[in-house]
Amino acid sequence: MSPVFDNIDQFVDGFLTSLEIILWALAGALPLGVLIAACRVSPIPPLRAFGTFWVTTFRNTPLTVVLFFCAFGFPELGINRSFFFFGVLGLVLYTSAFVCEAVRSGINSVPAGQAEAARSIGLNFTQGLRYVVLPQALRTVVPPLGSVLIAMMKNSAVVGAFGVGGDLWSTGASLTSAQGYPTFPVYVGGVAVGYLIITLTAGALLQLLERKVAIAR
Amino acid sequence: MQFRRTALVAALSVVALTAAACGDDAEDSAAEPTVAEAPEFEAGTTMAEIAEAGTLRVGTKFDQPGFGLENLEGEVEGFDVEVAKIIAGALGIAPEDIEWVQTPSSVREDVIEGDEVDMVVATYTINDKRKERISFAGPYYEAGQQIMVASDNDEIDGPESLKENPDAKVCSVTGSTPAEQIKQYLASPDQLTLFDEYSQCADSLRNGQVDAVTTDNVILLGFVSESDGAFKLVGEQFTQEPYGIGITKGDVAFCEFINDTLQENEDAYIEAWESTAGEVEGTETPELPEPAPCA
Amino acid sequence: MTSRPNGEPLVRLSGVDKWFGELHVLQDIDLSIDRGEVVVVIGPSGSGKSTLCRAINRLEPIDKGEITIDGARLPDEGKELARLRADVGMVFQSFNLFAHKTVLENVALGPVKVRKKSKAEAEGRARELLERVGVASQADKYPAQLSGGQQQRVAIARALAMEPKVMLFDEPTSALDPEMINEVLDVMVGLAKDGMTMVVVTHEMGFARRAANRVVFMDGGRIVETAEPETFFTSPQSDRAKDFLSKILTH
Repeated sequence: MSPVFDNIDQFVDGFLTSLEIILWALAGALPLGVLIAACRVSPIPPLRAFGTFWVTTFRNTPLTVVLFFCAFGFPELGINRSFFFFGVLGLVLYTSAFVCEAVRSGINSVPAGQAEAARSIGLNFTQGLRYVVLPQALRTVVPPLGSVLIAMMKNSAVVGAFGVGGDLWSTGASLTSAQGYPTFPVYVGGVAVGYLIITLTAGALLQLLERKVAIAR
Repeated sequence: MQFRRTALVAALSVVALTAAACGDDAEDSAAEPTVAEAPEFEAGTTMAEIAEAGTLRVGTKFDQPGFGLENLEGEVEGFDVEVAKIIAGALGIAPEDIEWVQTPSSVREDVIEGDEVDMVVATYTINDKRKERISFAGPYYEAGQQIMVASDNDEIDGPESLKENPDAKVCSVTGSTPAEQIKQYLASPDQLTLFDEYSQCADSLRNGQVDAVTTDNVILLGFVSESDGAFKLVGEQFTQEPYGIGITKGDVAFCEFINDTLQENEDAYIEAWESTAGEVEGTETPELPEPAPCA
Repeated sequence: MTSRPNGEPLVRLSGVDKWFGELHVLQDIDLSIDRGEVVVVIGPSGSGKSTLCRAINRLEPIDKGEITIDGARLPDEGKELARLRADVGMVFQSFNLFAHKTVLENVALGPVKVRKKSKAEAEGRARELLERVGVASQADKYPAQLSGGQQQRVAIARALAMEPKVMLFDEPTSALDPEMINEVLDVMVGLAKDGMTMVVVTHEMGFARRAANRVVFMDGGRIVETAEPETFFTSPQSDRAKDFLSKILTH
């Protein structure tokens, strides 16, 4: 374990960078995913088509390809932003498709009569979704959404390979190949533990949330 | 199915023959290093074991142009590969009896310690940290880190100018020695952009995401020669990167055998360079460095 | 209350057709409902009576023809449609109370979000309406804690809170246990007496006799017969109506 304790400051830096990537991606993917889900259940056919196109595109494309497009495609088109921005963007686009489908499954679990009742008192589509359908969908959405978000947290390791650097995964790569530390303790003792701290905390928070929305009925 | 496979082999043979006919003679002769006939080794040494086994397991890169690159026929080629063939020849092992093991930077110590290979020839810079786990024969080449920028860039003319341009981004490969080395020349760690492959750094330099790429001169020269004048090298080599051959820690006899073999085959060494990395415009044929004492 | 200030019926369907795939569920429907009128729609299952009811506030879009409410053509989608729906109350067979909201919140939601009333004003009015339908004491419970009859009366209060011009009832008592049917029907009769314009899909003969101005008998997607309740139940004109009545009256 000494490779970890000797380099604890590097691991802490890597951990914080990974956490930063994850929090930005969370802040982007959640609202975007809900928006796309709203498109997919909307009464307006072009919006539905757009939502379906979005999900089909990003759910069926490997994350590395999405990231590759962001990191190299946008600059080719003359759009130059930081690699951190492109990396988070790629993760957001990719994850939004999965968030959308988790949310949509929750929406579908709410009886159609609830949406009809909402419409019949004059709520428009967005209001019906916001005040009636989504709050009830939340209960069934939390477990699948939790899986999607935890997968996203682990996927953030891939972002490090697209010019971001300094995240947990790259820290491990730097220690093992450039500085010659053995692979096993660095990845298991440092990198894996770092990700576990993030994902286990997220899992615990999700469980709390699940309990909370389950009671509020 | 049988027919189709035969047809494929026939087609490939034609392609190979055509390619051979078109290639120049120097290339062909370099591919045939001398193979010693039944050399004698003291029992118990690594050399005796390898000669007995009749095969040499070599870890090298499969993705490093000029040094170790897998071609479309699935064969590896490059300077590291040729160096390995010289050593294999001295052990009485023909090139076709070498087992090539793809060895990316991050696992080089691991494959030696795990006895998955007999030696690693993979643009492997000798340093003390690595010597804690393995031993190096050589060095067989002195590379040095340099900086590559876009041709129209007048701001950056060496590593020192990175501090003066704190907005400038410099790209290298995750976990590489050059990535560690360049850090001392930076105003802030944010200036360093890391990818898995240098080709991604070159793409980012081309599309303006980064302002410079840094690694060993040889790798950079490959990109410059392919860039049609878009890239240039600036400044001197600011590090000495002696490339060594990684072997099991403490195997002094094998280390000395490798060093002696290289010294005795200087002509083949020069030829190995000229038929591989030396083909890149602007490179100079190296002199075989003095070997470091084995330990 | 049958006055016609502008000479126009409150609800008018003309030449309405609707298909569910191959199935022609509404066939050339013409129907006018005047202000203050109570119309009971009756017919065998699959006759299209529920679809007719749901078409009036466009929960089911129609394929041909025109529906107007208070002289305005039913809009296709969007804000206009939402505004119009606010003026048309709807009571469903399965109540459809918002399961995550209390009884009081159910009734106050529309006035706050659609009519932009203050929360206090909307809740005050909601309590009055709950009083009127006889479930004031349940205001802070969730729908699942109420009996079916109570839930349906809350649903009526929720619709009334929007101060609708017309109320649609889609088989409001079909999902109820028999002993709860009357508590709901009593509320509906009260509404009718107060002059509410109502379209009621139901099999409750008693309600039709007590409250309806007209009975519309549907079969196979068509309006087969329209008559005053007494006339319809005692001497139906069409064979299909006779057949249908003989079946339900023997129960």
